[in-house]
Amino acid sequence: MASDGVVLSGNCCSTKRGKLIIDTDPGIDDSMAILMAFQSPELDIVGLTTVFGNVNTEDATHNALLLCEIAGRSDVPVAEGSFEPLKRGKPRIADFVHGSDGLGNIFLDPPKSGKCDKSAPEFLVDKVSEFPGEVSILALGPLTNIALAIKRDSSFASKIKRLVILGGAFFALGNVNPAAEANIYGDPEAADVVFTSGANIDVIGINITTQVKLTDMHLEELRKSSGRHAQLLCDMCKFYRDWHVKSDGVYGIFLHDPVSFVALVRPDLFTFKKGVVRVETQGICVGHTIMDQGLKNWNTSNPWTEFSPVSVAWTINIEGVLNCVNEILMKP
Amino acid sequence: MEERKKIIIDTDPGIDDAMAIFVALQSPEVEVIGLTTIYGNVYTALATRNALHLLEIAGRTDIPVAEGSHVTITKGTKLRIADFVHGTDGLGNQNFPPPEGAQIEQSAVEFLTEQVNLHPGKVTVVALGPLTNIALAIESDPDFVKNVQQIILLGGAFSVNGNVNPAAEANIFGDPDAADIVFTSGADILAIGINVTHQVVLTDADRDKLAESSGKFAQYMCKILDVYFGYHHDAYSTKGVYLHDPTTILAAVDPSLITYVEGSVRVQTVGITRGLTLFYNKQKRFEEVTEWSDKPTVKVAVTVNGPAVVKLVMERLMNS
Repeated sequence: MASDGVVLSGNCCSTKRGKLIIDTDPGIDDSMAILMAFQSPELDIVGLTTVFGNVNTEDATHNALLLCEIAGRSDVPVAEGSFEPLKRGKPRIADFVHGSDGLGNIFLDPPKSGKCDKSAPEFLVDKVSEFPGEVSILALGPLTNIALAIKRDSSFASKIKRLVILGGAFFALGNVNPAAEANIYGDPEAADVVFTSGANIDVIGINITTQVKLTDMHLEELRKSSGRHAQLLCDMCKFYRDWHVKSDGVYGIFLHDPVSFVALVRPDLFTFKKGVVRVETQGICVGHTIMDQGLKNWNTSNPWTEFSPVSVAWTINIEGVLNCVNEILMKP
Repeated sequence: MEERKKIIIDTDPGIDDAMAIFVALQSPEVEVIGLTTIYGNVYTALATRNALHLLEIAGRTDIPVAEGSHVTITKGTKLRIADFVHGTDGLGNQNFPPPEGAQIEQSAVEFLTEQVNLHPGKVTVVALGPLTNIALAIESDPDFVKNVQQIILLGGAFSVNGNVNPAAEANIFGDPDAADIVFTSGADILAIGINVTHQVVLTDADRDKLAESSGKFAQYMCKILDVYFGYHHDAYSTKGVYLHDPTTILAAVDPSLITYVEGSVRVQTVGITRGLTLFYNKQKRFEEVTEWSDKPTVKVAVTVNGPAVVKLVMERLMNS
């Protein structure tokens, strides 16, 4: 089972605010998750780190800074991450999903503040070392920065309180191709490093996140609400919503990143199964995530044996998660 | 009466292969016109010997046995032999005397292509082992895909863990390159994966019933099943065994026992998930062209009437 949420279990508040770093490639649904985090007073957002994925890393940094300003939290450091996956080369960018600006082609004014001096892996290692066992990480993009932090400091993985990852498609179709989900596909080598690192990992695959949709009706309600960022998010979501209609025949949007955020703060709305997860890094199934469900006693060793299990999200309380998302997004 | 469906069983006997062959011979719906052999549960030479032995037990030495490939389609020889599942002799460590007969001179590939072309649209190939012979037949004869009625194969783990490792099922793992050739060949293919065969369990109580029966095949199976039960107990902590091969045979005998979906299947041939079978139902659209786009459609079994399969297997073994 997953460990407790960052600070919340049920709706009761705890006295100590949970430290959180969000590794992100904003991204429309990333923006939702980030603004949700800022609307959660029980969280202490230590910083944002950026990565390529929905946009390139430079734009991710730009957008992360913007989102901090929009939230009135320009004090939160944004550390820029890797520009390319571990194996090098040009990253795959999903601008057809999130628009050329990553925020649904709404082209906001540039941010006034600048990024922090440290690189994302440096920032991650420093903060986690400063507060060992206290910092949770929400990883919403390819796992390059986390893998680089693991390689940089051998004690990093064990010092993370909890690493909640949006990634993978467990026993389900991918979204880049039948085999692979976009975040893992973005850097399969990094993902395999992270999954086999021994860190306290909860992974939320698209087999879980695609069970939750914000429909056109929900979006309309959100627009009419007094939610602090409701108008902006609804503006952003237009482009994203139209892509969903075209790609999946869904009249609404999937909430990949917000669902992962909810898994961080309200793990009680999910069930998890433990198993070793490996990522294929070669061939036509590159980026495929395979979890050993532990249904068989292997009589010889294989690439899964001898690694620590992670918690894989297995079921989701759809109603509960949707309520939680709506509640935070509609908060004035 | 309808014309009996002609089937060729490509097999690596194997305890459950033995059961499947007996069930086929006891099924009036099908006519077994030959066995072709392959490595897998045992090496190919032993598979041939066991195939001949099983036909002698059944009194059906009229059925030809053609020996298949000893190596994978990429000439790989480091084959994984499942002696821990089936015993070192493949038949539950019974050390039966050698068969009196011999295989025919034709190779498995020659026999397969000849028979399929001789009876176009009338021969179903039931493949119970790695798919090397079938892939070689496809590659050697452009008419094979067109003329074969159907290829019903036991292989793959669709949306579940494999049985060799978390990614791969044993038959596909045995020759992933051959499997990918077969799945993308355009032939009428029905794949029965372990996601389906794991729903078909012969229990200890079923075995006791077989033991009480005077059926020739029931008696024989009871002699060789010990090793197979022991393996299942250790590996899966179950009190029963999976009927992989008999389920596949019965899918040929009575197609109504299973349901299937259609889509394209590709096999991963490299890396840690080598042997992984990945099914794409062609419903979701992808932004980019994928390795599954434009590939022919195959049928993949999704449900099976497990109790009916077990009942039919029992009946046919006991009434012998």
